[in-house]
Amino acid sequence: MGYRILLAILLLLSTLTVHAFDLGGLVKEITKEQSPASETEQQQAKQPGLLDLLGGTPVEEEIAIGREICGRLLGAAPLVDDKRLQRYINQVGAWVAKQSGRSDLIWHFGVIESHDINAFAAPGGYILVTKGLYKKLHNEAELAGVLAHEVGHVIKQHHLKILKQGQLIDMGGGILKKRASGDDKGQAIGKMIGSGAEILARGLDKNAEYEADRIGVVLAARAGYDAYALPSVLQEIGHVSAGDSSVALLFKTHPHPEKRLIELDAAMDGYAEQFDNGKTIVGRFYKL
Amino acid sequence: MKTVQWLIGVILVVFVAPLFAEPGYIIRSSDLMDEPYRDATPLAELKEGATVEILKRKGGWLQIESAGKRGWVRMSKIRKGKAATQPTAGKEASGVLGLASGRAGTGNVVSATGVRGLNEEQLKEAKFNASEVKKLESFAVSEQKATRFAQAAKLVARELEFIPAAAE
Repeated sequence: MGYRILLAILLLLSTLTVHAFDLGGLVKEITKEQSPASETEQQQAKQPGLLDLLGGTPVEEEIAIGREICGRLLGAAPLVDDKRLQRYINQVGAWVAKQSGRSDLIWHFGVIESHDINAFAAPGGYILVTKGLYKKLHNEAELAGVLAHEVGHVIKQHHLKILKQGQLIDMGGGILKKRASGDDKGQAIGKMIGSGAEILARGLDKNAEYEADRIGVVLAARAGYDAYALPSVLQEIGHVSAGDSSVALLFKTHPHPEKRLIELDAAMDGYAEQFDNGKTIVGRFYKL
Repeated sequence: MKTVQWLIGVILVVFVAPLFAEPGYIIRSSDLMDEPYRDATPLAELKEGATVEILKRKGGWLQIESAGKRGWVRMSKIRKGKAATQPTAGKEASGVLGLASGRAGTGNVVSATGVRGLNEEQLKEAKFNASEVKKLESFAVSEQKATRFAQAAKLVARELEFIPAAAE
């Protein structure tokens, strides 16, 4: 009886090894075909991504995934039809994102047609703010702070990490055994993201939100803006009644704004000097 | 002429400024300081639930008036709005946590006014919209253009380190 169990375990182990070996071979074979990855790309490729196996660099993978998620969100809520507004948010956003050091991405910002109060970040630099949140803002520094929080999610790859975790679980499921054509690549991304833009409704760990807040105030300050504009926005949305449907999703996916304000204020407390003298900029702020 | 200007100034400060004041109340008891600095002199203690008029903000501090005293309080100690209309007023613990944990709706509430919301169900069923993505991408701004945009408002980039979470 004991021998049988041992035999079973040995058999199981050998299958696993063969499987792992196969996977490794596949990775090697594909990376040979590619031009050598840059240092940043190598740093980001901590885990083999689905597209690494199917062809494509980690940055390309990140952008392809984010573009798909962003496109789905736009399917639920299209862009506000106002070119000057969309150009303005891209000017502010690009300046803030420049401070993050991820110049390998082309950053995209947009205001979407929704009266909810919320903002979303998808991998690869796709960031959308609802009209409902935009209307709560009073100046450019507040917009910069909101966008900087979302830029924080992108550079920390918060959503990408969640998607990759899910994908690793899927690895044994056999989807990787097929060699890819173009269509499979799309399917692979689709499978990774799941249904619609549900990844954005799931929410992140609360510490990821606090981290994005701390990154947000620093990026805004690096860009020359008043760093306390983001805390100010949190204060503003902090007293919206929790029963209000416009904050239902925001409050479900984030710690309460007041809790975020308390955490952020405590973190900023010792750095008052570094956050001094930022600009607010009311004059050219594009009002809705 | 100078007197007239001076008078207008006084009128603006005394009568118009309070119009911009916003009501709020203390959610965590705190010292009222004479200046917006940590090592400033405390003027009075503000108790949880005390109502205040918010006059302006400087950095992480709000200038407020409460019970006839004017001074500065850390912004995280104050909630905007009128205490009376807030069911959780004066109870910070149940205030913050109560708001955070419950009554946030089921996610399938459709706004009564018929405007577009964004709930879980809608996100789950969302379909890729290729033309909207292309439109979004058409608005991209290069780093050079962003820099010129910043310069136009005299925004100067600063070198700052990221900050850690506050110690527990």
